[in-house]
Amino acid sequence: MKYKGWLLPPAMRDFHEGRIWLREHTAFAKQDIQRAIDRKYLHIIEGIQTTPRLKCNRCHNDKPQFFTLFDCSKCQRQCVYCRHCLSMGRVSSCSQLIIWRGPKAYRRRQHPLRWTGQLTELQQQTADELLESVKARRSHLISAVCGAGKTELLFQSVHYALEKGLRVCMSAPRTDVVLELFPRFQKVFPQTIIHAYYSGAPKQDGYAQLVLATTHQLYRFEQAFDVMIIDEADAFPYSFDKTLASAVQKAKTAQAPIYFMTATPSQTLLNDFKHCSFIAKRYHNKPLPVPRFTALWRYEKSLQRGKLPRKLKEWTEERLAKNEPFLIFVPKIELLKMATPLFQKLHDNIVAVHADDAERKRKVLQLRDEEIPGLLTTTILERGITIKNVQVAVVGAESTIFTASALIQIAGRVGRHEAYADGDVVFFHHGVTLAMDEARETIIYNNKRGFPQ
Amino acid sequence: MKKTEIFCLLCAQPLHLVPSWKSLLFNYFPPCICDKCSAQFQRSSMPTALYQYNDAMKTYLHQYKFLQDVALAKVFRQEIHAQLKRQTATIIPIPMHPQKQQERTFSHTEELLKAAKIPYIQLLAKTTRETQSSKNRAQRLQSAPLFRLLPQAHVERKDYLLFDDIETTGTTLRHAKQVLLEAGAQSVRTFTLING
Repeated sequence: MKYKGWLLPPAMRDFHEGRIWLREHTAFAKQDIQRAIDRKYLHIIEGIQTTPRLKCNRCHNDKPQFFTLFDCSKCQRQCVYCRHCLSMGRVSSCSQLIIWRGPKAYRRRQHPLRWTGQLTELQQQTADELLESVKARRSHLISAVCGAGKTELLFQSVHYALEKGLRVCMSAPRTDVVLELFPRFQKVFPQTIIHAYYSGAPKQDGYAQLVLATTHQLYRFEQAFDVMIIDEADAFPYSFDKTLASAVQKAKTAQAPIYFMTATPSQTLLNDFKHCSFIAKRYHNKPLPVPRFTALWRYEKSLQRGKLPRKLKEWTEERLAKNEPFLIFVPKIELLKMATPLFQKLHDNIVAVHADDAERKRKVLQLRDEEIPGLLTTTILERGITIKNVQVAVVGAESTIFTASALIQIAGRVGRHEAYADGDVVFFHHGVTLAMDEARETIIYNNKRGFPQ
Repeated sequence: MKKTEIFCLLCAQPLHLVPSWKSLLFNYFPPCICDKCSAQFQRSSMPTALYQYNDAMKTYLHQYKFLQDVALAKVFRQEIHAQLKRQTATIIPIPMHPQKQQERTFSHTEELLKAAKIPYIQLLAKTTRETQSSKNRAQRLQSAPLFRLLPQAHVERKDYLLFDDIETTGTTLRHAKQVLLEAGAQSVRTFTLING
């Protein structure tokens, strides 16, 4: 006799657990979804909440300028949709979001950790403090200077959480960072299903107990994670877009602790966390390079006239002569476009990258492989990249886009390799700003703490 | 749809709305995209289209039609309005298949006209769900009739202007034109936003 009941497809459970998903976007068969809804395995909520005020239930955006009213042909009345998370598929007031409330996915308890690296004394101490916090299920802030080896000291705690059957999420602000972390975690946890989510990520099967995601992708999760790790918590979209902070809260379970990692903790972060660990030293036990300020008066005018300012030219020529790779940060794309041909007069292979550049990954790789002498860039390369013996200049460091934390991150690109622990960081400026002073002061302070006299 | 945008609809940068004599004295729509974004679109050299298809237009159409961003209907409202406001012919937007329209939740051609405050009527109905973009040139040129008249449609001996978002081989417009001419229209011209 044929079985006439309905068996829950395990793939549906694995996929939908912890997710908040548009009903029309689900990849599973309509009948199966309907059955799951009938059995209350899937819970339906409206896409846009109207009372007490408009709010998108996926991205929690409630700013009226992001909502658009339109005549909906589906419901023959006026509907509202959210433009804030539009790129993930439109959520309108007539669309339904589904949340899994059915049986839980099976979680493995065995997650072999294959890591042979050695932590420094300070790293080990911080890793132990973090593990204590993970065991006690309390939030923790790790403040470590750039190049301290933050990722390595997570492994122990992530391993512990995974073996306890907890679902772990590590979130980073940018796709580049997620792409860099993914293979590292795969290597360390060879038998764990790990998924990486970023815009344009391929479809990944199974139930991932460890998820690496850009912060934006957290919009798609609801009460999913028992442990939440936020990398570079001070970085651009996170500090800029309030809904991202709420996305973190939404994606984790109510009691789940948050672990923040940052090189430049803001005062609010320091106040919010009772448990903090500090690492004021790099893994190779050498002080951080301290930025120097050099005045480059009216550099913008000079560039407009098609002339490289003398000091900048000399600096670049020196790098070329010494065969050192270099990064030059500029505040605006217009300036980047103006300056690129001028730099190319010094050397043909100096290229520029900006946020919309499709080839940006390749160009960074070229610099790493020493195929090109240097890169001109906007702030997109301020974090997450490691290049051996790189030297850094910031042109127009007085610009408001260069906040203290951005400048600290930029200075943190230099001297990350053990063999080249020192390097030149120069801020070319048209007037010194508070942010520049603060960045320099913080770096000096960290050096003092790391190397007490 | 009446609200004034304070951020560019395409790049979300804040818009700097500078009042000018022109904007005060003439009934212009307030801009809804920034100068940088609008510079990306290329005007068409053809009299029957406003823009030339390019990468910016591709992104625009993707966001408007595929991601269903109805707000983008406003982007070209000033240009469409200027082009069609003195039009004496009756304007007919190319219809979508009813089922398709329900899926997309809006008709992209009608929304463009609505945003530009251009009156229109509908006499046609789409008969197939197939899209022209899924077919190659040869298949397009020999496809079965795409349109029929609406049941109560009354085609007068008048001038008509068909409006569509994009013209590539012209098959869609040719089919619609034929249906109207056979029903007794005096003349049928076409106008598209984009020339493919």
